[in-house]
Amino acid sequence: MSSSSISINWTPMIVGFLAGLISRIISLKSGNTHYPGYPSGYISQLALAVIAAMIGSSVLTSLVGKQFTAATFLTLAATQFRDVRNTERTTLSQEEKLILVSRGPGYIEGIAITYEARNYLAMLVALLTSAITLVGGLIIGIIGGVIMIVIGEIFMSGGRVGDIIDVEPAKIWFDKGTLLYVGEVMMMEVGLPHPRERYEKEGLGVILTPKNQRGQAVLWNISQRQAITYEAAAAVGVQKDIGYPEQTPLCRMAMPAASGKAGLSILPVERNMDKLIRAVKRTPILEASKWNRITSPVINREEM
Amino acid sequence: MADAPTPVMFAIVTTRKESVSGGMAPIFIAEDDQERERIAMWLTRITNAIVHDLHNGTLILTVNQGG
Repeated sequence: MSSSSISINWTPMIVGFLAGLISRIISLKSGNTHYPGYPSGYISQLALAVIAAMIGSSVLTSLVGKQFTAATFLTLAATQFRDVRNTERTTLSQEEKLILVSRGPGYIEGIAITYEARNYLAMLVALLTSAITLVGGLIIGIIGGVIMIVIGEIFMSGGRVGDIIDVEPAKIWFDKGTLLYVGEVMMMEVGLPHPRERYEKEGLGVILTPKNQRGQAVLWNISQRQAITYEAAAAVGVQKDIGYPEQTPLCRMAMPAASGKAGLSILPVERNMDKLIRAVKRTPILEASKWNRITSPVINREEM
Repeated sequence: MADAPTPVMFAIVTTRKESVSGGMAPIFIAEDDQERERIAMWLTRITNAIVHDLHNGTLILTVNQGG
């Protein structure tokens, strides 16, 4: 671009680049999906963020400088970000076999899509901010960049389980001697006496009650409940290892009553009910669970 | 759907051997309830199978395939 005869205005590119980068870094910190967990994970995400912000911010500058080849190449580079989703999915799926409470495929897909979208968002923020700076100058560009970042954050922050589902503590008890119940919800059959004693002494249980139809639909999704279980186990810990399948935390619907409520049972390391409820409420709503209204017997019963 | 496991019968532990017969799972016959629970616990620790009580003197162990 240095060969260009007209002088290049670098301000839009720099402001746009910074806005895009900041937009991506903010989302890296606010992630509560326990990923990335290691510095190496952050570095690779940061490198992608720099590239994304770079692409977004330099498109307009190269167009203004009449460097159409450069602009075309930048759009080509943008398509490379499709691979981000695959990389995330592969990493998390491999990890799935090595963790005691799995995230579930729905959660993994959600995380992968979010990471891909975050890079595109950084690109968009960078592009729009550089456009604003080009038209309005440095000060307006900076203000516009901040607004873009805020809009991006609002746009990208999906709902939480706590928004549409009530979470309340419930008693853990055994029916017929062996059937584990959380409140009115039957969870599973525990055939051995020692785990039963442990559940009665140390177990924690919560009941999830949907506030509305959307909550109903979300709760009937198996992946969503697995994600809730994962978040609960990550928050309070879980007394479990290979060879102790009956101590797995579970989230099950109230069946056969199909009242739409769900129960969650867990044998925590840290017996802290507030922390457990907070973790359940903070679980993100998975994209896959939003459109499953048809699988909810309660909603369909009401509509008939 | 990897989230919804399919349980497969792995073993049967019973004190009433006349109540079970045949099938794909081995049957362990115990003298009393205490021994039955001990066998079941050992099997679950070794094989990661889940113990269920049928409330007729029989415990069954199931393994989740693809869970």
